[in-house]
Amino acid sequence: MNLSSILLFIISKMNGERTINASLHLLRGKKSGQTLQDVEYFAVKPFFGILPKLTDKEFQKAAEKLRISAFIVEEDNLIRLTAEGASEVNKQEDYHFRGWDYRGREVVFFKRLALAVQTVSNLREGTHSFLPIESDRDIQLFVKRLFYRKPITSPHFAKEIGDELKKALIGCGMSDKQKFIFTGRLTGKRDTAKTWDQLARELEEQLDSIRLQFIESLHMLLDEIHSLDEYPILRLISDDIKVQTYLTDSAIRTKKLFEEGHSLGSIAEIRQLKLSTIEDHLIEMAMNESSFPILRFVSIEQMKAVIAKANSLGTKRLKLLKVAFPSLTYFELRLIMAVNEKGVV
Amino acid sequence: MNLTEELQRRFGYTEFRPGQQEVIEHVLEGRDTIAVLPTGMGKSLCYQLPGYLMNGSVLIVSPLVSLMEDQVAQMRKNGEKRVVALNSFLSYSEREKVIRQLDHFKFIFVSPEMLSRRTVVDYFRKLQLALIVVDEAHCISQWGFDFRPDYLRLGDFLKIIDRPPILALTATADQKVMFDIPYYLQMRSPVVERQSLDRKNICYSVIRLKSSIEKMAWIKNRVSTTTGPGIIYTSSRKRSDELAKELQSIGVSCQSYHAGKEQDDRSIIQSQFYNGELDWICATNAFGMGIHIGNIRQVIHEHMPSTVADYSQEVGRAGRDGLPSVATLLYMQSDEQLTSFIIQTDIPKEEQVRYYNNLLIDGMAPEEAAKLAGLSETGKRVIDYYMERFEVVEIIEKLLSLAEEKNTELQTMLSLIVTTNCIRKNILSYFGEESNLKIPQCCSNCSLPEMEWLTVEKPSMNKHAIMTWDERITKLLG
Repeated sequence: MNLSSILLFIISKMNGERTINASLHLLRGKKSGQTLQDVEYFAVKPFFGILPKLTDKEFQKAAEKLRISAFIVEEDNLIRLTAEGASEVNKQEDYHFRGWDYRGREVVFFKRLALAVQTVSNLREGTHSFLPIESDRDIQLFVKRLFYRKPITSPHFAKEIGDELKKALIGCGMSDKQKFIFTGRLTGKRDTAKTWDQLARELEEQLDSIRLQFIESLHMLLDEIHSLDEYPILRLISDDIKVQTYLTDSAIRTKKLFEEGHSLGSIAEIRQLKLSTIEDHLIEMAMNESSFPILRFVSIEQMKAVIAKANSLGTKRLKLLKVAFPSLTYFELRLIMAVNEKGVV
Repeated sequence: MNLTEELQRRFGYTEFRPGQQEVIEHVLEGRDTIAVLPTGMGKSLCYQLPGYLMNGSVLIVSPLVSLMEDQVAQMRKNGEKRVVALNSFLSYSEREKVIRQLDHFKFIFVSPEMLSRRTVVDYFRKLQLALIVVDEAHCISQWGFDFRPDYLRLGDFLKIIDRPPILALTATADQKVMFDIPYYLQMRSPVVERQSLDRKNICYSVIRLKSSIEKMAWIKNRVSTTTGPGIIYTSSRKRSDELAKELQSIGVSCQSYHAGKEQDDRSIIQSQFYNGELDWICATNAFGMGIHIGNIRQVIHEHMPSTVADYSQEVGRAGRDGLPSVATLLYMQSDEQLTSFIIQTDIPKEEQVRYYNNLLIDGMAPEEAAKLAGLSETGKRVIDYYMERFEVVEIIEKLLSLAEEKNTELQTMLSLIVTTNCIRKNILSYFGEESNLKIPQCCSNCSLPEMEWLTVEKPSMNKHAIMTWDERITKLLG
């Protein structure tokens, strides 16, 4: 697994319907209307926001690799797979990302865990003073609360955490290499964690590959922790990590005004935002909330007609739909598509 | 009150280091004080002890967020819970939380830019302050990585509040700095407490080489035959990465460190270095301030620093434990041009200033305008500060004279490198000190004796046997 292989997989999902940048936005977890819709349309939720800090340069390099191998081609800016690309995708192993559920928060989980491990690792040997590996105050306060009234100086307690961690690492099904990377990023009394460079050298792999395997292993571990009742301490550490509401903060504020009965124009005015942004928020709501009042915007007949057309054209491209339904606005078309993906219609 | 008793009771030391007691006495008398103390001489004690003996909080202005975080962590580590850092890295809600509880804290570290926010200032006005400390006060007048125009704005803040005494701390103090500090901080007839900046346990050496290939060969040989821990200072992030890779390839335990690395990796590298798991660090000047590692034995400069002040600060990170240490500067002729080029690209030119100004007038966002005008980060910060106060023509003049000043500084640095006289004396005279002490391991111009302690048998590579993942968990947690 590396950035190129994941990119190829995503392109196979959006095959011929999107530009290369749609994949970049997806991997970074951009919270714009377009990207949030793409996530639904193309069933690529697992990859949403798995690399929040992905740079343009790294991304372009990965894309270039796919072009050179002739796995992808570009037509009118839209990217699609070649036959070689398609057979390459078929050879790939399954990915186990859960980007939509964790959105970069998995790293917060790991920071908490790393500081918790460093703390008990020192305390169990009677070392009460050490420089914390995590300087983030929020993380420090979290770990402090976590250990409130716990027997943190007892070697037995440290071992309990260690045993629980071992069990979860095995239970979640991550590869041995992933276990090596995961534990390599933990710091203890004598052993400091390894940097990404060091891990990449030890394993003789590229940095992007190591990072991605790490992120995937966190997603697998978090799922394991949440699905079984056997990990009391890890469960506490993963508190609040999984996304609770799938709406963005800004969309939540728009939703509140919308429910108070404001029109879109009036919401835009109150919030000092562009109308198109408010529309994006509505799309988000339509995608994520089953109670969304779609009929305030379009009729059942319109919805049925658009969906039938989309199916017969075999496309999700709004431009083509707009030609077929000139009387509907882009916003209305997007709403219909958003609700359709949810399977309500 | 007996200060030594307080020292013993609260910190467990039986005596003060040179200069500390004097500084503390001035502060307790309510005098504005400038303390020039060499690095590693316990500057923080100069405000911590008075803080405990005075009513109210101590406000410490600190130039770098990382430095601030380190100091806070250090104090917490020593058991002081009433300490907090207030800086722009905190989220809005965290900051609000801290600000509302300011009076719970005895020691409040704050970044200078926070003090130009009105809401923050309002809170500080309500607070009972015992002392204001300006740490690394030379940042007021040094252009370069450390330069913070926000430091110049401190005067505005100090004017508004009904203020307690100010303590300015620095480890470098040439004439300009000593003039600028009281001027910009609006200090009231300050007492100056000055300790010699001479670091007797550091020996200075300049080595002339013909090419970068020779430099590389010298470094490779040096790090594989002599002792660490050591820092190799380079001119850029890219260069640090390249050099670290080269050294790793010959089996040296080495990592690069600069502001472009992610925070977790930086913490890990610091911790490895601190624990002796890592021998060498290739760094830009981002590695230094606030790093509390006592046993650094060598500092190597692969490039030429732009001022003697920068050089002596970077060198000063060696040997804080008082044991013998070596500073080596590698020089080849083209270095002067390279450094001169770096300085010049950093200082905005007339056309850039005018272009930037016009873009702003046209209503462009400052960040974007700075990008288009090709301004460096520091360049933008400085122009923004000047623009609040001066006309464009004046700004251009100021930048011209700044460029000249920088050039003079560079020439001074160069003369330090090419001199055949004692390097130590040269550095000290830069800070207005005279020294006639004979030191056995002084500098490469004073005939350097063989230093046996420096040479080590290197154990073969692969210090750490590779552990499996569950062995590692067992090792960490039992």
